[in-house]
Amino acid sequence: MDRNSRPVTSAAGPAPGLGVDLAVEVAGLDLRNPVMTASGTFASGREFADFIDLSRLGALVTKGVSCEPWAGNDSPRIAETASGMLNSIGLQNPGVEAFCERDLAWLRGRDVPVIVNVSGHSVADYVAVVERLERETVVAAYEVNISCPNVDAGGMAFGTACAPAAEVTRAVRAVTRRPVIMKLSPNVTDIAEIARAVEAEGADAVSLINTLLGMAIDARTRRPKLARVVGGLSGPAIKPVALRMVWQVAHAVSVPVIGCGGIVTGEDAVEFLLAGATAVQVGTANFVDPTATMRVIDSIERYCARNGVACVRDLVGALEG
Amino acid sequence: MGAARTEWFHRPRGGRVTCSGADIATHPLLERVEVRRNERVAEGVGLLVLHAPRIAATIEPGQFVHLRISTGADFILRRPFSVHRASGETIEVLYQVLGRGTRELATREAGDVMDAVGPLGNGWRVPVGAAHALLVAGGLGAAPLGMLAERLAQGGIAVSVAQGAPTAERLLARDLFDAAARRVVVATDDGSAGETGFVTGPSARLIAEDRPDVVYVCGPEIMTRAVAAQAAAAGIPCQVSLERLMACGIGACLSCVVTTTSGRKRACVDGPVFDAEEVCWDGSELPPRH
Repeated sequence: MDRNSRPVTSAAGPAPGLGVDLAVEVAGLDLRNPVMTASGTFASGREFADFIDLSRLGALVTKGVSCEPWAGNDSPRIAETASGMLNSIGLQNPGVEAFCERDLAWLRGRDVPVIVNVSGHSVADYVAVVERLERETVVAAYEVNISCPNVDAGGMAFGTACAPAAEVTRAVRAVTRRPVIMKLSPNVTDIAEIARAVEAEGADAVSLINTLLGMAIDARTRRPKLARVVGGLSGPAIKPVALRMVWQVAHAVSVPVIGCGGIVTGEDAVEFLLAGATAVQVGTANFVDPTATMRVIDSIERYCARNGVACVRDLVGALEG
Repeated sequence: MGAARTEWFHRPRGGRVTCSGADIATHPLLERVEVRRNERVAEGVGLLVLHAPRIAATIEPGQFVHLRISTGADFILRRPFSVHRASGETIEVLYQVLGRGTRELATREAGDVMDAVGPLGNGWRVPVGAAHALLVAGGLGAAPLGMLAERLAQGGIAVSVAQGAPTAERLLARDLFDAAARRVVVATDDGSAGETGFVTGPSARLIAEDRPDVVYVCGPEIMTRAVAAQAAAAGIPCQVSLERLMACGIGACLSCVVTTTSGRKRACVDGPVFDAEEVCWDGSELPPRH
């Protein structure tokens, strides 16, 4: 499509609250708008409460939690790259028990749907975390991380082939009636195939993409910039890859797709909706601007108002071409 | 350190002790700040003066601000800077031009605006009953110690300073140290001021001769670690300000972890100032830069 054939939203649009219907439904969850946080970029929200009203989020996706505490990787854990960053945090987390006591206790009563991101080294690990979380009423849904490139065992290993991805989905599906969202890895030959595999085992939605495996080297010292050598690339640099994969997966499955990867502005989010995502996640942008999610929500609303879109759902998959 | 665990007190603005041992719950804010001055003060070192009334009103010595240097099409993470001085409605930041972010920062001019998140982190704390403090600064490490020297002196605590830098020109914050300290001993790599060599020479001597009640250290990590060892050997409580690569600055991303005796802590919200005795130096890493 000619980029000039539609009006383009500018930053200075009409004020929010102009009667645009921003609500979406994802995997049985009714969300007040399509904007979620991306796991690992928002902790459990507490750190952002000084800056934004968490109850305005479509949903809050927590940082990944595992059965036992994980110490994460050595430092340096990040490296800034062209229009993005690499990270190799390694899913550092205090374990599900401490997570329930500290994080979920704090989230109770915050009036925001809480989606807990679940990590594991084995299928049994994933199941154990979900079983523990089943006792917590504040949890609205699970996002199952089979795509972290920064842990040796588990993580991405489950998300890069159909059989293990299906196995994790089936095992988690068996122990919960809550919505199960599978978070997919872009580090595969055919992401649509993985999406179909998890859909077949009962996934209620898929979210994509997790980070792209990358590397940075300091030519001066001849050393890798990350202690772990490789890490996950995120930020605006990966948006074209993410858009392409969301578009492919949206054509391959009938469950909702949650789009993620390099979203900084409302216009970025709209592009993901047009590509077929029902909702979006804002990740790395939270590091640069703690109010990024609010800006994206307001900007989607302005885009809709300016373009005569009464209901944001009308944008989903509305790519012309 | 063999002694019983030191009881620390925060000493906020005005020198009145208001809060015991536990960390003060700081509430950072996002403030639109305006550059008032941005000038070269030494080879590769700039001084940035920002009009930041809300942050200036609450920031404590040792805390930092997270600056969004560029909002252009290119994506640049925020960069953390210790606040060197806060007076009235302005804060001052000393920075070394090292990488992409600080090169960009050096081009900012009076009247430019950017946004700042702050005050962030836990600053320096004063042990109960301390009457004499030794501040040990290496290179740009002088930045967060300048504000501390000023505040300690206002609170009636005697201040000694051991300061090291590559050259005389790069002995930063000298005005603050000279005004606040009763004794300043300097060392430079090239001997252009004070004695020739590292600051660890003067720091060892001041620890032995002055027997301070507390030692505060900021500088390259290898220096910080050496001075912490000197303080520990003398049985004197010591705090260190540590630097790590940081993304969010507010405790969410877990990029800036420091390995401590009680697990990995975040330099941004649990630090940047740590008790030296809790830091596991063997787990420490190369100095950060990006």
